[in-house]
Amino acid sequence: MTDSKYFTTTKKGEIFELKAELNSDKKEKKKEAVKKVIASMTVGKDVSALFPDVVNCMQTDNLELKKLVYLYLMNYAKSQPDMAIMAVNTFVKDCEDPNPLIRALAVRTMGCIRVDKITEYLCEPLRKCLKDEDPYVRKTAAVCVAKLHDINAQLVEDQGFLDTLKDLISDSNPMVVANAVAALSEIAESHPNSNLLDLNPQTINKLLTALNECTEWGQIFILDCLANYTPRDDRESQSICERVTPRLSHANSAVVLSAVKVLMKFMEMLPKDLDYYGTLLKKLAPPLVTLLSAEPELQYVALRNINLIVQRRPEILKHEMKVFFVKYNDPIYVKLEKLDIMIRLASQANIAQVLAELKEYATEVDVDFVRKAVRAIGRCAIKVEQSAERCVSTLLDLIQTKVNYVVQEAIVVIKDIFRKYPNKYESVIATLCENLDSLDEPEARAAMIWIVGEYAERIDNADELLESFLEGFHDESTQVQLQLLTAIVKLFLKKPTETQELVQQVLSLATQDSDNPDLRDRGYIYWRLLSTDPVAAKEVVLAEKPLISEETDLIEPTLLEELICHIGTLASVYHKPPSAFVEGSRGVQHKRLPGSAGSGESVESPDTGSAAGASDAPPAVIPSQGDLLGDLLNLDLTPPATTGPPPPATSGLQLGAMDLLGGGLDSLMGDESEPPPIPLRTDTPQSPQVLHQSPSPPDYSPTELGGDLGGSSAMGAGFGAPPPAAAAAPFSAPVSGGLDDLFDLGGGVGMPMGAYSPPKTVWLPAMKGKGLEISGTFARRAGVIQMEMTLTNKAMSVMTDFAIQFNRNSFGLAPAGPLQVLTPLSPNQSIEVALPLSTVGPVMKMDPLNNLQVAVKNNIDVFYFSCQYPISMLFVEDGKMERQVFLATWKDIPNDSEAQFQIADCRLSSDAASNKLQGSNIFTIAKRTVDGQDMLYQSTKLSNGIWVLAELRVQTGNPNFTVCLKCRAPEVAQCVFQSYEAVLKN
Amino acid sequence: MMRISQLFILSSKGDHLIYKDYRGEAGSDVVNVFYEKVTALTGDQPPVVMSHRDLHFVHVRQGGLYWVATTTEDSSPFAIIEFLNRLSALVRDYCGSLSEKAVQMNFALIYELLDEVLDYGYIQTTSSDVLKNFIQTEAVSSRPFSLFDLSNVGLFGAETQQSKVAPSSAATRPIQSSRDQGGKSEIFVDVIERMSVVIGSNGVLLKADVEGEIRVKCYMPSCSEVRMGLNEELSVGRSQLRGYGAAVRLHECSFHQAVQLDDFHSHRILRLCPSQGEQTVMQYQLSDDLPSAPPFRLFPTIERDSAGRLLMYMKLRCDLPPKSAAVSVSASIPVPRGSVSLSQELSSPDQNAELILQNRAVVWRIPRFSGGTQLSALFKVEVPGLSSASLLEVGPVGLSFELPKLTATGLQVRFLRLSPVQPGPAQRWVRYVTHSDSYIIRV
Repeated sequence: MTDSKYFTTTKKGEIFELKAELNSDKKEKKKEAVKKVIASMTVGKDVSALFPDVVNCMQTDNLELKKLVYLYLMNYAKSQPDMAIMAVNTFVKDCEDPNPLIRALAVRTMGCIRVDKITEYLCEPLRKCLKDEDPYVRKTAAVCVAKLHDINAQLVEDQGFLDTLKDLISDSNPMVVANAVAALSEIAESHPNSNLLDLNPQTINKLLTALNECTEWGQIFILDCLANYTPRDDRESQSICERVTPRLSHANSAVVLSAVKVLMKFMEMLPKDLDYYGTLLKKLAPPLVTLLSAEPELQYVALRNINLIVQRRPEILKHEMKVFFVKYNDPIYVKLEKLDIMIRLASQANIAQVLAELKEYATEVDVDFVRKAVRAIGRCAIKVEQSAERCVSTLLDLIQTKVNYVVQEAIVVIKDIFRKYPNKYESVIATLCENLDSLDEPEARAAMIWIVGEYAERIDNADELLESFLEGFHDESTQVQLQLLTAIVKLFLKKPTETQELVQQVLSLATQDSDNPDLRDRGYIYWRLLSTDPVAAKEVVLAEKPLISEETDLIEPTLLEELICHIGTLASVYHKPPSAFVEGSRGVQHKRLPGSAGSGESVESPDTGSAAGASDAPPAVIPSQGDLLGDLLNLDLTPPATTGPPPPATSGLQLGAMDLLGGGLDSLMGDESEPPPIPLRTDTPQSPQVLHQSPSPPDYSPTELGGDLGGSSAMGAGFGAPPPAAAAAPFSAPVSGGLDDLFDLGGGVGMPMGAYSPPKTVWLPAMKGKGLEISGTFARRAGVIQMEMTLTNKAMSVMTDFAIQFNRNSFGLAPAGPLQVLTPLSPNQSIEVALPLSTVGPVMKMDPLNNLQVAVKNNIDVFYFSCQYPISMLFVEDGKMERQVFLATWKDIPNDSEAQFQIADCRLSSDAASNKLQGSNIFTIAKRTVDGQDMLYQSTKLSNGIWVLAELRVQTGNPNFTVCLKCRAPEVAQCVFQSYEAVLKN
Repeated sequence: MMRISQLFILSSKGDHLIYKDYRGEAGSDVVNVFYEKVTALTGDQPPVVMSHRDLHFVHVRQGGLYWVATTTEDSSPFAIIEFLNRLSALVRDYCGSLSEKAVQMNFALIYELLDEVLDYGYIQTTSSDVLKNFIQTEAVSSRPFSLFDLSNVGLFGAETQQSKVAPSSAATRPIQSSRDQGGKSEIFVDVIERMSVVIGSNGVLLKADVEGEIRVKCYMPSCSEVRMGLNEELSVGRSQLRGYGAAVRLHECSFHQAVQLDDFHSHRILRLCPSQGEQTVMQYQLSDDLPSAPPFRLFPTIERDSAGRLLMYMKLRCDLPPKSAAVSVSASIPVPRGSVSLSQELSSPDQNAELILQNRAVVWRIPRFSGGTQLSALFKVEVPGLSSASLLEVGPVGLSFELPKLTATGLQVRFLRLSPVQPGPAQRWVRYVTHSDSYIIRV
């Protein structure tokens, strides 16, 4: 007799039979009957009619039978709440049973019966079980609190179960601790501000102790909980890291990844020069490599995580390139992930090895993989300049194979290589042209046409080649049509004499015979340009294009930070924040990495009001492959998610820009006989460059107007249905162009004019100055740095012959003229002097950086003092970076050079802050709002040409601002931060 | 946080075998949704996580069954996959084998297990030692030993020569039966290694990694401690110091929680308190290093003959010690697109070769290949329109093989002591085997 017979009963009247069996006197028979009932339940049959009969079997000493009955109860209690009450008595009785197994079973099952009526009966037994002598019962009761909380949260709070649960964190049994932590974490998620899991050094210590003793699964709970803690300082951070590192060698990969998460997060707080930091980096590599020896499914999950880690801290795995080499029998999804990581790790040191591998991959069987491998070769060329030549020759070899898709893919990437290294590899064009006929994919055709157009003057038969494409113009995809149009116009501008007919043909095809608005409009623009002012047309269309940047498809920094906080979870596999896929009701708290060493204060500010706001707000719409450009601009267009009315200055500004542009376009569209709005172009000579600078990936699609349409794209983007990146245009153009004035004007409304200047302080006390007291400050007025001093004579004699000199200093400050004290200074007299300063003096790095040593001489003596100037006076007026340059620079500066600071207690809205900062030449370039948090992207230029990029995070209702600074000279960060603080607080 | 919402086991045909809802977050209709999704997957989609509305499915396949967990939270897929693998191992340990039938027959037992291993979706324990205190139901063994079952005992689930010569039916019996039936006391130790090698076209070893593990399957209720001695000259870590050549080197190793390492550092002895059933005691790896020459070398000559056919002359040498041999050797040689047919000359009748058009490869199979010998083969492939560029498409050659009674690292179990001394005959079995994980020779 085996259990499988239970599955075979399908006859009618079976319920009736079962009923009889359930009511039998014989225990064996009863048990068999209950088993049959459960078997039917599993396969989806409705056996709820047997509820009373099964409940009747509940009172038994046979544990096996009892378990079966409980199993049934859990399944059907919800549909039969009235009947479920019948079972309550037995539950309560079982909770007192001498056998701990029965007590635990009863409390576990009661929690699973999700019937509101039962809960009140549950409280007393639960209270007893939470204090039970047996740990097995206690750990079950701990979980039961979470179950009960889900059904009736108020009841749990009223009954004081939460406090009991908190006490269990100090339980002697690690299993109980783990379950208490798990339950508290879950309850805390639905009360983001409750501070339920009060993580303080004492509890952390308890958790770390339990970590060593509990089961592997308990360790995961505890590590995940630790990851939410923010250590007070780097020393605490280090000591936690030290106690977590042994987990890295655990056999359970989930434990390993949870430990990696904790370490990645706490590492942020360790100073980079600490020996321990280096040790930790070394310790992280082996466990990550080990994860790759698992089954392909786990490997895939591991690789998705490693992809994140490599973007955040490439140094961890920089010597482990080989483990990411693709194995022949890896499944394709593993291969593609590995390839991505290989490119991210590629550097001059290992590029030869990587290229050799990629070349092998390009001859494999799987088409998708081969394509990606060919593309990867192109990415290598763009990333590692020294390898470019070798990459090109590898690509040429591959073209020789004549395998259709390899050739096409190679041409697409060679186009990108041309865009990165113009005028360097045109010798290969001949080979490319040979393959013209075999190209059948739009992207490859478009790339080839672009190349022909771009280098038309060096290709003898460029006109013939382009003409051949023109024959089937209407059958081509839009991408190819647009590219062809542009290429022929380029050709015409380069060789006007022989191609007039061709250009007329393509313009008429594009404007008259096409229904596609993009194509038509682009055609018209060219037409007018050419007919109005061919010189201007040449300037626009043949403008020098900026180079494309190397690292592409990187995850946007803020998202990356959040994902690092979710290592090992689904978020890290999807590369999406949890808010994007977890139901909105709970758990939608954005996590941030803690600030770097030195910030001291707690960083994850337990914001009271704002967190609630954040979880109420709809989940953020963050594109999966975070193209920051797209983000910034798309979000700019939507009204900010803050509740209050938007500050008038900004909104007026945005609307103004839109209107003006819109109006311009309307007139363009409305009356075709009018001359095209050339002024827009002439006013914005830089704008083509701006547009080109978009950090579009090498697989940049030529449909994005920016590519070669040049200056016209600002207009083009406003037409028809713009592709996402082109939507950038209306905003990026005004930033630099003729609309700049408008921008500044708007920014000026209601903003304090002039830079912030600190109040005067005493630099030289009279005691030290033989009666001369000097107090002073620095200011930047109308672009001139001034040292403003008050000289007071507190001596008994007259002072004359004043002179001043500076020691060499970090930014080359020097007096631009003599100290103007014309009249002698009588006793008890004060005089105000303003000394203009230049920044062309001799330079020496000072400590602190903004320290200035000054010597003042008078008829009595020479006095020395030192003072510190606010670095903000060095912020120059043209410190507003172009958006695209900003993005590219932000990505380009390694994360190591990022510094994060807190500005506490600053009660400004983000717009007010932005205005204030602009007064001190800190310019806001873009703003986006995510879940009530405003992020301002700002740039500043120092007088010596150093750029500082900043991300200012302002959460509505939270007086603490966070500033992330990125700069190629990281040492200025501290000073810049001080200026931020000073400007914002005054 | 880590929370499992539902757990279910499906047969390969999609029948519901086990269904348990822990948190009441979704209905049982998702079981069918899962089955539709999983059967619709194509080969290039990662099967790891699939989502349906707010629900995420994580599954593994073990014993021909789908083991599925759902979650609505941002749970760790690692934890869930590990957990599902442990769960299936537990079920195998408890039921004796893993099959649709075994699960069906023991559903009450499995529900009981599910109640203990998870509570409200929180993983509680997967240790059979802890669980034995709670589990009441007796397992029902499907049938006595049969050859069919043995294929399920495979190492890593792979069907191997070794598993077919498993010493007795013991390996497929439920752990509980030894408790009262006084079955034979037995312990099986498997040292299993997987080798990944890439050899460049110039014969240079580009990459050589070995991953290995020691698995113990124990049926000894009265045994409280096993002492397992490994090679005395075993060095762990990446230090550059290389004493004398005889030492066995490992770069990384990790151990099961139940392993005591007190004597490991001094005497290379692992002490463990084995749970009944199967567990992985130690996992290790060696990267970019092999203690001896790679087992196979290939000397290919590839050319186009006058008739426009592709000629591939392959000399394959086995560099194993002469007493050892590789079994089930199979070489897969990718050939150019458009290949039509194959004719071959092989050196012995037990070998065979065929052109598999679907994979665009010639597969050459050698059932047994002794160490220190060399085999050669000539393949003529008909490829219409063969160009010199298409010759580039030949290769790389992938080998798959199995090396019985051999570990690539040289790791060995010196002794296996059980305490207290077992009453009656206690059988101790130690097996070694090395598999090719990926053995690529570029041409």
